[in-house]
Amino acid sequence: MNCRECVDHLYEFLDRELTPELEREIRAHLEDCPPCDEQYDFEELYLKFLRARCRTQGAPAELKKRVLRELFGE
Amino acid sequence: MAKTPPQDVSPPLDEKRAGFEREALVHLDVLYRVALRLTANPSDADDLVQETMLKAYRAWDQYEKGTNAKAWLLTILRHAFINEYRRRTRHPETVDVDTIEPYAVFSEVQDDDPQGAFFDKIVDDQVLRAIDQLPEAFRETLVLSDVEGLSYQEIAGILEVPIGTVKSRLFRARQLLQGKLYDYAVEMGYIKGSPA
Repeated sequence: MNCRECVDHLYEFLDRELTPELEREIRAHLEDCPPCDEQYDFEELYLKFLRARCRTQGAPAELKKRVLRELFGE
Repeated sequence: MAKTPPQDVSPPLDEKRAGFEREALVHLDVLYRVALRLTANPSDADDLVQETMLKAYRAWDQYEKGTNAKAWLLTILRHAFINEYRRRTRHPETVDVDTIEPYAVFSEVQDDDPQGAFFDKIVDDQVLRAIDQLPEAFRETLVLSDVEGLSYQEIAGILEVPIGTVKSRLFRARQLLQGKLYDYAVEMGYIKGSPA
């Protein structure tokens, strides 16, 4: 595995969408390659940041009432 | 109050309602967040969710109980959006999103901020606004993955595209968004650098 291939699989790795074999190959590459390892860490932090910023909002209480009213007449 | 309905009608209805509440209504927050990013308008998002729930309740008998209600509901929501909202709220893209080449932020920040500390200074609203500026095909893929945590397989099913397309759009969407957030951080003075 070279750096280019490693970076190409970056998000699939972080999303846990790779086969165990490919995952192992990447782990091995990251251990030997500090620049790739640093980039993986950076992207992992970025994805965590996105999740933290985007999942806070829920449906308004009024909408929930409206849906219940419409579906069940309450 | 009308007289009591016959015994053979009432229990299944209660059952239907209980099942729908248990499996579908629990996803109201998910549907709302996705609707809000698709329509970019709270009042349209309300209507889209309402319509999705009505359609889902009517079609509830066709849903195979205990499978994947979230993905099933999101598919209904997306169809409703395409058929009834997209035409009037946003224009379909004229650019070919699959040719957009994103900008590599990491190489810019590698020396000064490899831990991405500048991200922490960017607030929720700013991130959501940046997501809303993404091309629609990128936006919907990124929202299903990063906001709602769906798998590539589930996203491919909802968007009706091959998994390879999900991968490539997600990669580009995340990089494009990162570039926008980086530019914003530079503009605000959260990090030294030159905007892309």
